[in-house]
Amino acid sequence: MGQEEEKGCSENGVESKEEEQDEQENNVLRFLDSLDSYLVLMDSLSSTLRQGWMELASARHSMGASRLNSALFDLKHHNAATSLEVNHHDDTTMQQTYFNLCKWASPDTQNLCSKETKLEEGELLQRKASSPQIRHRGASRSSVTVDDQVQKERSKSLSVFGALVSPKLRGAQLSFETALETLVEIANIRSSILCTHDQVQEGMKTMT
Amino acid sequence: MANRVQIPGRNSALIAMIADEDTITGFLLAGVGNVDLRRKTNYLIVDSKTTVKQIEDTFKEFTAREDIAIVLISQYVANMIRLLVDSYNKPVPAILEIPSKDHPYDPTHDSVLSRVKYLFSAESVASERR
Repeated sequence: MGQEEEKGCSENGVESKEEEQDEQENNVLRFLDSLDSYLVLMDSLSSTLRQGWMELASARHSMGASRLNSALFDLKHHNAATSLEVNHHDDTTMQQTYFNLCKWASPDTQNLCSKETKLEEGELLQRKASSPQIRHRGASRSSVTVDDQVQKERSKSLSVFGALVSPKLRGAQLSFETALETLVEIANIRSSILCTHDQVQEGMKTMT
Repeated sequence: MANRVQIPGRNSALIAMIADEDTITGFLLAGVGNVDLRRKTNYLIVDSKTTVKQIEDTFKEFTAREDIAIVLISQYVANMIRLLVDSYNKPVPAILEIPSKDHPYDPTHDSVLSRVKYLFSAESVASERR
């Protein structure tokens, strides 16, 4: 009986070691995946930024250097139209930070967005119950209004450089918006790299 | 997708920038510029007249502010204050080194990759085995 118990304990010990090794391998795989994603995203960011700089240079060429420089920046009090939402995820093994980009979310757009979300939810429920040919003019009008607000915020940002701006400047604005989205993804991947790196280090310490 | 708007929650935060004029101009066009009531901005334009001390002070200020979640810094500027950037180890604000027009991104100088590259060093693996 005693021998059987010992055998059971050693088997459990071997199983838990194997589980630890599997977990460590998973941590290493996640770490390497995060590193790979980080490098791919940095490459993508580089090309997006290059495009944005080229468009800025073209805009400066057509509008003139005096119309596109830092002396025109708005130094009066104003809030950022594009901001971040930060959430922390805690569990027993890791603490990771998540960033979420909120583009062109002025207070007016926020109110319209909440109405749009409620109308979209209602629309989905109604579509399930009835014919898909029924049009919901209320919801589509609200989403058009949100788009108008976003365009208004974009125009406000461009108006710092005058009422009439080069189309290249609008192109540069879109390129830098795309770059922002990539940067937020990079920030999340960075958080994942640091978190999985700590897990791999912990695993290496326990296994030695 | 480009016009879809996210509603910022109560924990909304800013993106700060330490970079050249064109990079700052571009990101201001994208709406990240913020000026508070004391006329303090969330960006620093680095040019030939900007001193290393100014860059260091701005970096320390941005990393101490609670309303900033990401600090974008051109990698060539980060190289000027490399010790300070590499010694920074908080999760928020996240420090992201970005390329500039005249200085492409170099992964060997990236502070995040520098922190983890020792795992790939043959020496570190051999020393663990000993």
